[in-house]
Formats: sequence, structure tokens, C-alpha cells
Amino acid sequence: MNEFVAIAPLLMLALGATAVMLQIAFLRSVRLTAVVATVSLLLASASCFYANDTAPLQVGALLQADTYSLLFCILFTLAGAVTCVLSLDYIQHHGDEPEEYFLLLILATLGACVLAYAVHLASLLLGLELLSVSLYALIAYPNRSLLPLEAAIKYLVLSGAASATLLFGFALLYATTGTLHFSELGTALEQSDMGAALPMAGAAMILAGLAFKLSAVPFHLWTPDVYDGAPAPISGFLASVGKAAVFVVLLRLFLEANLFRYERLVELTGLMAILSMLAGNLLALQQTNIKRMLAYSSIAHIGYLLIVFMVCLDLSNRDIAIEAAAFYLIAYTATTLAAFGLLTLINEKRVEREQVQLQHVSGLFWRQPVLAGLMLVALLSLAGIPLTAGFIGKFYIFSAAVSGSNWILLAALIIGSGISIYYYLRVVFYMTKHAEEHKDAIELSPGWSGKALSCLLIASILVLGIMPQSLIAVLGSIL
Amino acid sequence: MLATLFYIAALIALTSTMAALTRANAAHALIYLIVSLLAVAVMFFLMGAPFAAALEVVIYAGAIMVLFVFVIMMLNLGDTGEDREREWLAGRNWFVPGAMAALLLIEMLMVLGDFQGVTSGNAVSPKAVGIRLFGPYLLAVEIASMLLLSSLVGAYHLGRRFIVRRGEH
Repeated sequence: MNEFVAIAPLLMLALGATAVMLQIAFLRSVRLTAVVATVSLLLASASCFYANDTAPLQVGALLQADTYSLLFCILFTLAGAVTCVLSLDYIQHHGDEPEEYFLLLILATLGACVLAYAVHLASLLLGLELLSVSLYALIAYPNRSLLPLEAAIKYLVLSGAASATLLFGFALLYATTGTLHFSELGTALEQSDMGAALPMAGAAMILAGLAFKLSAVPFHLWTPDVYDGAPAPISGFLASVGKAAVFVVLLRLFLEANLFRYERLVELTGLMAILSMLAGNLLALQQTNIKRMLAYSSIAHIGYLLIVFMVCLDLSNRDIAIEAAAFYLIAYTATTLAAFGLLTLINEKRVEREQVQLQHVSGLFWRQPVLAGLMLVALLSLAGIPLTAGFIGKFYIFSAAVSGSNWILLAALIIGSGISIYYYLRVVFYMTKHAEEHKDAIELSPGWSGKALSCLLIASILVLGIMPQSLIAVLGSIL
Repeated sequence: MLATLFYIAALIALTSTMAALTRANAAHALIYLIVSLLAVAVMFFLMGAPFAAALEVVIYAGAIMVLFVFVIMMLNLGDTGEDREREWLAGRNWFVPGAMAALLLIEMLMVLGDFQGVTSGNAVSPKAVGIRLFGPYLLAVEIASMLLLSSLVGAYHLGRRFIVRRGEH
């Protein structure tokens, strides 16, 4: 019985998926489907608090319910609910039979939550595939233009290659240890007398496979094309939940199997972090397409996050590193959702090609102050300006890196942040241009749900930025 | 002797996979891929995992690959398609994969009687697999069913795009 309570969020999501499926079978109605999907995602989020009473508890051989997994479950289900509401008006204009979209969105969220729970390589793979397979279909969902299809095929083929690499890595680890469970892997690697070469190669392959999903440099080539082609709300979901879930499980794998024992491997993550921070920010400078700019900036943000792996090398700093990663993930998810949310609201009625060039937001402050306010807060938070969630997150990473005295990583972090301010503020500059300077500006009339949601997202970013103490207290108590 | 047989099967797996990668013709490539999967199945069998070998044959070589071949062949309808198919059946095209498959069959027949695996591990019976799947790994089965649901819905929606398109034009 306790085990059912412990995985209540997963059960709620599965139940929600079934309910949506049955509802579509009997009655096609987008609004109803969206309501059922949003409610089931919110219920799943609420059930995390209920499940917390039983934590920590190992469920079956595959899942572990503890505060770490439940915290991220709340984050992913809330992000899923936000994406649902954002998508409602958008998807009606972009594809016929829009109902299945919400079913796939619930399933993708379920995959992300399984990743948060995973303590076994099998559940890692299943969760990852559930997340990615749903995302392939979601990316290609709008069937009135061909760009999403191209994006989905790119993602599918490259992601398949990444999964194959991942599986090869699993096989190598299993060959040396004979187990797939994270913590058992840790003890088995301790006692293994087969030398470090084979398990290290396996762990490196797993790292490469997951780094592809995280789009860390040098595995980032797909990112801008896929983000550009995918429907805007899905780009937001992919950039926030899609990455955060993979990062969560990667961190747990490294901690529980203690892969930090392979110093070379951890140095590899440090190298990836530096490359991601520099390459992501430099490439973002050259973009005039906001979606592509956000794609490159998300690469840079993964770079900032990967710093914590190097910090974790030193046992005494591990707690602050994990705390920093958790806070950064939460801040990054809220911010990314807000930024892509604005693009969604702009493009609600664009059928053929989304309008995401810089000049399309020109004069937005004078036309749609609420939307422009959302974008401003999101961009300031991405840039890490004080009073926003992004600032606290970056500050956390910064102080973690200082306590680990990783000076090279710190230098890359500072240089990267410096570059990033330029291209974030360029968007703000375009938004403040006077409306009459730009004649072909598009008409905007976002629905009330979009406006309410943007206010909510602004509020959450500001609250996290101004009063982070309560969240920090929660984070401190889980680790 | 078992080790020799194992290495022969491994060699067949490697060469047929290489051949599958380098064939320009999709149907020929698929035939080589089937041979490669059969060779892997024989390797599993020789290593003392008959159940894994059976699954490899039934699921990969049997269900998935044969379905692929059917679809590829069905795409070539009409006179030109018939000519092309006749050309596919020319002797030089089926002799090599046929010989490889025959070699694998001979290997199987040689070891079929009293048989001990090459490795020291224990053979896993289907029953043991079933008990594990519906015991500690029950949730994996459930999550996999959700995975199938999402791919089914996704495939339905993506496939629908082309049906609707064709109707419109």
C-alpha cells in the first residue's frame, strides 16, 4: 500500500493519460481535453505532497521515492500543466485533431517523472524513451507546415544514435558489475578487479548519450534546428523539462553509483561545461531568430549547470553543489517556460511559419505591455540580473564553484554571462522601439488564459528571485 | 570446437552487417540484416542463452524484419516493379546470404544434441523471465506499455497527415 502512495504522481499521470484517451475516443473536444489534461497534471503535482509522507521508499527494483524525486516531479508536472494551458489556443490553429497533443504531453511528463524516480538503468532508459518518443510526435504535431516534420526527423535520427550509445554504455557497465541498479553499481565497481578501463568507457558512453539529450557541446548540433522547427510551446517543454529530467537522472547516477571516482570522466564534464558556455553564448550572439537564440542560450545554461559535476569531486562541497543544481534547474525551468510562452502567445494564429525574428517583437512594449513584461523578466532572469530567479541560481552555481576553487570554470562562467547580457538585452532593445517605426508589426490578441499565465510566470520568477529563502530551506532539508 | 563455431557465427554477423550497410538496394540490405540477426541469435545460443536466441529470431528476424521486407516490396508495384523484383531474384543476389544462413543452420544442427554453453553462466528459462517481469520489474512492464501507447498515438497522428493530404489533392 505504501508503495502505491509513494508513486502516486506516476499513477495519477497514467490515470490522466487513460482518462484523456477514453475521452477522445468518446467525444472530441479540445477544450475538454485540455481541462482534463491540466487537471490531471495538477493533481499529480499535488499528490507529490501526499507521497512525501512515505518517502524515502524503494518501489520495486526500479524506482526510488524520496524528496529529491518528488521535488522534481512537482516541477515537471507544473511545467507540463503550464505547457498545456499555453498550447490550448496555439494548437487549435496549427493542426487538425489537436486532442492527442495533450495525451502525448501527459505521457512526456510521465517519462520525465519516471526519470526523476529512476534508480535503475532500465527505468532510466524507459523514462528517457517515453519522454523522447512523445516528444518526436509532439515536435511534428502541427500538420499544416513541413518545418516541424523536418525538426522531428532530425531529432529522431540523432536521438536514436544517442540511445544506442547509451545502451552500449549500459552493456559495458553490466559486463563488469553484473547489476543495473545505481547504488549496487557503486558497490560493485568498488570491489571490481577488472580494472577501470571498461567501466570508465561504459560510463563515458552513458555520459555522451545523455549529453546529447542535454545538448551540451559537442553534442549540440541538433538543438537550434529542432527548437526552431518545433511548435513554440513544445520548444519550451523540450528546453525546460526535457533537459532538466535528463540532468536530474544524470546527477543521481553519478552520485549513487559514485562515478565521481573516475576523475578523468568528471574532467570531461568540466570540459563540456566550458565548451558549452563559450560556444553556446558566442553562437547565440549571431542569431536574429529569437527561437534559435534561446536554443543556443539553453546550451550555455547547460554549461553553467555542468559546473556542479566538477564541484562534486570534492566530497565536502557536494551538498552545496547539489543544492545549487536543484535551485538552478527550478529557476531555469520557470524562466525558459516564460520565454517560450511569449513566443507561443505571439504566434497563436500564425499557421504557416512562426514569426520569431527580432523585428517581429519590435515595439511590443507599446502594443502588448503584459507580454513584453513577461519577456523582459524572462530575459533578465536568463541573463542573471538581480531580483530574478536566474540571478539567485547563477549566484548559487558561482558560490559552489568558488568553494570548489574551480577557477577556469568560473572564468568561463563570467565570460559567458558577460556575452549573454548583450544578446538578451538586444531583444529588450527591439521591444522598446516605438511602434510607428515598424509598419508590418503583427496584430496580437492573446486570450485571457495566456495573459493570466504570463502574469503567474512573471510572479513566480520574481518571487523566486526576491524571496528565495523558503525554497532554499526546502532544498536544504532534502539533501 | 564450440568456440570455433562461435567465432564463425560472429564472423558471419560482422560480414553480413557490413554488407547490409554497403548495399545500395534496400531489399538486399534487409536480407543481409536478417542474416546478421540470425547470426547473433546463433551466438546467443552457443553462449548458452537459448531463450534470448529464440526471442532474437522470433521478434527481430521474424516479425520486424520480415515486415520491413514486405513493405519495401509492396512499394514496388506495377510492371517496372515486377522487372526489378525479377532482377532481385537473380542468382548472385541470393546466393551469398543464402549460404550464410545455411552455414548458421549447419552450426545449429551440429550442437543441437547434448549441449553445454560456452560460458559458465546459467541458462535463463522463459518462466524465470516471466516471474521477474511480473515481480520486481512489474513497473517496467507498465512504463513500457505507456511507451507503446505514446508511439501508437504519435504514429497515428503522423500517418494521418499523409492520408488527409492525399484526400485533399
